[in-house]
Amino acid sequence: MTDAEITQLWSTLEPSTRERARIESRVLEWVEASETSLLTEWLDLIRVNPIGGLGLAAASALSLLMFTPLGWIASSMLR
Amino acid sequence: MSAALAYDPALPTWTLAGIFQALSSRLGGDAEPLDEPSIQRLVEQARSGDRIAAQRLYRQHVDRVFRVVRGLLRSNAEAEDVTQDTMLTVLTSLDRYSPRTGARFAAWVTSIAVNTARRRFRRRRPELTGTGELPDVVDEHAEPERGVDTARERAALLRALAELAPAEREIVSLRHGAELNASEIAEVVKLEPANVRKILERVRERLGARIEALLKQGVLS
Repeated sequence: MTDAEITQLWSTLEPSTRERARIESRVLEWVEASETSLLTEWLDLIRVNPIGGLGLAAASALSLLMFTPLGWIASSMLR
Repeated sequence: MSAALAYDPALPTWTLAGIFQALSSRLGGDAEPLDEPSIQRLVEQARSGDRIAAQRLYRQHVDRVFRVVRGLLRSNAEAEDVTQDTMLTVLTSLDRYSPRTGARFAAWVTSIAVNTARRRFRRRRPELTGTGELPDVVDEHAEPERGVDTARERAALLRALAELAPAEREIVSLRHGAELNASEIAEVVKLEPANVRKILERVRERLGARIEALLKQGVLS
């Protein structure tokens, strides 16, 4: 077999339409997630489920203040 | 937020995800292949935040990456995962890319793909055979859209590749899957270009003969 024939044979390893779509959708999901700021995600959550979302937001803010060094500094400054 | 909500033509701002979705080809991978100066321009544009340029870079390279890693890994599912990880790394690391004389952007993309596949390969080590060869694994699911001849050729190629040593498999995959030249391959596998040429010549003869023999035997996944 020639070099060109082997290269031609490699085209049989191309992804199928379904495989290509799956790869693309996963890359798309990740890119979309990386583009969404934390604030936007919180606002979306509160919009979809106001009571539960606010509860979660409050619990998260409290845990940030209590359990991270940055939180300790912030809480000591608030006192 | 679901992918379906990513693109809203009513909104003035387009997200990168929206651009991908709006412009992606669901039936084909690469559009018309671009020459290297055009690719370099796309890289510059993508670095400066041009989302269409990033999407075009993705489409120019995704099939090439899959072709290379499919030759290195055991299954289509693994190749999908590695292709996805590679393309994410490429799109998020464009700032780290520095064009070198004589090396194409595709060589950089392919080196990321090979490194990602190697990490996968290491995690799979217990499943390798004693000689370090890949077990003879065929695809779990048939793909009706591929013709019988294509399926037979594909199976023969994968089986012949599985009989090569890992380093040989990498080199031929880079040559025929990514269509890199000997210097570019040498850069990826950290060998001298002369050695790469020798290995390519030796492996091509062996691979070609084995594929022909398998096709004559009527191998089919």
